[in-house]
Amino acid sequence: MRWLAPGRAAAALLFAGAAVVPLLSRDSFFLDSVILILLWGSLSAAWNVAGGYAGQVSLGHAAFFGIGAYAAALASARYEQSPWLGLAVGVLLSIVAGALIGYLSNRLKGPYFALSTIAFAEVLKIVASRWRGFTAGSEGIPVPYRPGFWTLGLDHVAWLYLALTLALVCYGLQVYLEKSRVGYRLAGVREDEDAAEALGIATRRLKVAAVMLSAALTAVGGSLWAQYVGFVDPAHVFSIDLSIRFALNSIIGGMGTALGPFLGSVLITMLETYLRATFSGMKAGFSGIYLIIYGTVLILVVRFAPEGVTGLADRVWRRRGAARAEAA
Amino acid sequence: MDPARRLGPAEIDVFAQLAVSTLLLGGIYALIAVGLTLIFGIMRVVNFAHGEYLMLGMYLAFWAFSLLALDPYVVLPASLVIFFVVGLLTYALVMRGVIHASHNVQIFTTVGLSIALQNVALVLWTGDFRVIRPWHSSVVIRLGGTAFNLSQVVAFAVAVALTIGLLLFMRRTHTGRVMRATAQDRDAATLMGIDTDRVYRLTFAIGIACVGAAGALVAPLYATYPQAGLQFVLIAYVVVVLGGLGDMAGALLGSLIVAAVEVAGSYVFGAAWKEVLYFVLFIGVLVFRPAGLFGQRGAETLGA
Amino acid sequence: MRRRAFFLAVVVLVALTGWLAASVHGQSGEYNIGVHEPLTGPLAGEGKRHLEGLEIVRDMINERGGVMGRKLAFAVADAPDPTAAATEATRLITREGVRIIVGTFSSRLCGAASEAAARHNAIYWETSCVDPRYSTRGLKNAYRTEIDATGFGWYNVEFIAKHLAPRFGKKPSELKIAFLSEDSSYGQGVTEAARQRAKQEFKMQEVAAEYYNFQTINDFTPVIVKFKQLQPDIVHHIAYTNDAPLFWRQAREQDFLFKALVHAGATGYGGVDFGKALGANANGVFALLEPGPGFKIEALRPEGQAIEKAFRDAIQKRTGSYPLGGHQLAGGGLWLLKVVLDRAKSDDPEKFRSAVMSLDLPVGSMINGWGVKFAENGQNSNERVQHYMLQWQDGQLVTVWPEEFTTKRAKWIPLGAWDQRK
Repeated sequence: MRWLAPGRAAAALLFAGAAVVPLLSRDSFFLDSVILILLWGSLSAAWNVAGGYAGQVSLGHAAFFGIGAYAAALASARYEQSPWLGLAVGVLLSIVAGALIGYLSNRLKGPYFALSTIAFAEVLKIVASRWRGFTAGSEGIPVPYRPGFWTLGLDHVAWLYLALTLALVCYGLQVYLEKSRVGYRLAGVREDEDAAEALGIATRRLKVAAVMLSAALTAVGGSLWAQYVGFVDPAHVFSIDLSIRFALNSIIGGMGTALGPFLGSVLITMLETYLRATFSGMKAGFSGIYLIIYGTVLILVVRFAPEGVTGLADRVWRRRGAARAEAA
Repeated sequence: MDPARRLGPAEIDVFAQLAVSTLLLGGIYALIAVGLTLIFGIMRVVNFAHGEYLMLGMYLAFWAFSLLALDPYVVLPASLVIFFVVGLLTYALVMRGVIHASHNVQIFTTVGLSIALQNVALVLWTGDFRVIRPWHSSVVIRLGGTAFNLSQVVAFAVAVALTIGLLLFMRRTHTGRVMRATAQDRDAATLMGIDTDRVYRLTFAIGIACVGAAGALVAPLYATYPQAGLQFVLIAYVVVVLGGLGDMAGALLGSLIVAAVEVAGSYVFGAAWKEVLYFVLFIGVLVFRPAGLFGQRGAETLGA
Repeated sequence: MRRRAFFLAVVVLVALTGWLAASVHGQSGEYNIGVHEPLTGPLAGEGKRHLEGLEIVRDMINERGGVMGRKLAFAVADAPDPTAAATEATRLITREGVRIIVGTFSSRLCGAASEAAARHNAIYWETSCVDPRYSTRGLKNAYRTEIDATGFGWYNVEFIAKHLAPRFGKKPSELKIAFLSEDSSYGQGVTEAARQRAKQEFKMQEVAAEYYNFQTINDFTPVIVKFKQLQPDIVHHIAYTNDAPLFWRQAREQDFLFKALVHAGATGYGGVDFGKALGANANGVFALLEPGPGFKIEALRPEGQAIEKAFRDAIQKRTGSYPLGGHQLAGGGLWLLKVVLDRAKSDDPEKFRSAVMSLDLPVGSMINGWGVKFAENGQNSNERVQHYMLQWQDGQLVTVWPEEFTTKRAKWIPLGAWDQRK
């Protein structure tokens, strides 16, 4: 039964499940939840390419997300062009920005890299807020809704399949990173950079490439998100909250695994939606409770399952296996 | 301004005022950053919840003032003690379990803590902006062409005293030396029979006590609300990186530099750009002088 | 196999959670509308105040027989950011089954939320966001009861040019004006509108336009030192909440003298916290708002008088104070919704729209002395939504302009030395 690893099976189940949702229900809230799960999952997978596989933990990925979101929104709102064109521009710009961040990652280690990425995203946020003539400043950009694929004015079902496509691409890339020679080299860089270098791996170039790929994917997610939600403003798209969300899904689900970001997205998005709906309806003062629970769950998960849900599942599985072996 | 023109009295006043503002603002940043220097410098823990303890300290001062009519300066010694205990508790409940974990685990633990604490404040005390005005915050001191208020001066004085106190503590006492030794080499310290867990517990508690007490000094100057600490955290990290890890005097100097960048930047380019300036400075220092501007030890001693 | 079973369990569990979240609430006999405010995050304080205003007016409506013969009830949603705003709007419509959503304090949120509502053909009833572009997107079922940012800018400059300038003995074109503003969407919107009108229509001399982030501003002295050299007559300052007391305190410290400070909106100088923080030291500041003490209720039309009085009493009973800006915006907007529903007798978007468009009430008919005349784009006309200039006088924010609506008069024009504003 080794033909399909359990992680792959679970992923197949997850994506297949998402694909059949529109056949079972046309309820737009349910579809919206699934779309957001896939979108946030893809964005976390994009983060995972740099953070999980290459070990470059960034807390400023909102920078790339924001670049993508603004590129698409400006293309459709300001220049009345297709947001797909904006997406392409956003990806290019993000790759440039990614190269810059990648360069930083070669100079900085551990928390310093994370802190400098926050600073980078903050700088972009301020520029976007102040460059009124181009970005419309803090007031943000309402994205016009023009029905059609080329204009990305889609209904929920079409959005779901678009988000699913992105998710599959991100998942596939991650699997490739796990299985290919590049992936093994990356793992080497992540685990022991000096040793990898001694083995003749071009660690610096590899890290920069990983961050650039991660940035490009994040920009794609940002562009699609902008068209889906329909409103882009600097305080949100460049916020540290978003950067944390991307990282969080991966960490909860399992960093450096292909399934982890998606599993994390399922759990976090559901938890968030469910808790928010429950507590904001109760009383004005209670609405903060869901974030207290959210924060506490985060502390607990990171403490007791630092390798995330997939890691936890692995551990449980191994312990059982060991117990069975002992019994036998 | 035409450089050829001689500086008139008005220009000198402007310059003097900006210098004074820099000094006083720097004092406030130093107040918040010394605790972080300890925690980041000795424990190597990125504490994103640092600002939330400042916020809690501000609320303590606010409630003591509005319910019991106690001046924040009267509350100050009490908040040192209270937040020392809060620090011990936080360490025992939250930090102890992740102290040997990776940076990522620590980062996200403190992010979770920060989200939870902010919203505890929101649920308990609502999102209203609270302002207190003890008598000293409306006492204006005029010196030459400059003006400032008494609360700022006190905050600055306490910041300097705190820095010197911690500096002496680290240099002169046995505990302080043990803390520094642990910071330099955790494994070696353990081999030497140092109880690193005790060192970390103490370090964390002192760091939180400092920032909690800072809350009492900051409350008369800025509004208190659940997110009040957020804006100071990033600044505090900029300061710590500029000053060099675990270097108290460096933190004070770093604070003054950040304040100078902010004040001069606001005056020349406009207040909208001040953060860009210090973030660029931050990245620049990280890349070109990772040991901090004056520090011996810094980013390069930190493993990934 | 077991490991796969484990994953399966996880997936199933998660799906169950999702469906749980999706359970439909609401009781029969009640008519549910969605209420959408930021209840967490940095806007939570003001969001809560808006919700309070809505709840008070909901109770008033129910005491008077509810809407369409049913008791009015709320399905409340927290909308701290645009993604959440859109998602929650969708949830309210499809899960809670609402046909009408009332919201949202911030301009960052109303755009995304109303867009989501439009895609479900639901009615979006905006009471407070001021982004002018809200009503230029061609959404048929998005309405706004409050004036937009251009309205705020318009009134502020109107007051400066028509009321302040003559009392300074100057022509508007002789006035030197310094713009200072927090740089969120609200501040930028109002400030840019005011700048435009001040320059183009009145040829005022703009000596500075300075923005800052209200969450990270720690020291205004560099700005004040700069402004001092420019010697403006008017400081046009749009502040959020923590920044207003900071600027005012530091301006006093620096002995920065100008002739008047004008603000707009229920936050910053327009918030109760400002007066609480500064007491008599706040004297002289102007804030454009809904009416405060001094407001001549007799100046309203009889039906306006009755409802305004009932509204003030209800607020007094619940909060122990005069209505605050947030209460007035949200409450006034909700009352207007009731007026529309009374006429439409239906939440069908077409019937609702024709009821909205048929309303033509003069200034003085509604809570806050508002009138009603909606434009085709869903915006209540800026002229009907009468706004008032209030001034801090000895710890109270009193109505001072337009003078026909108030018993109080603006004082300290121009502002004297800092210690002579008693």
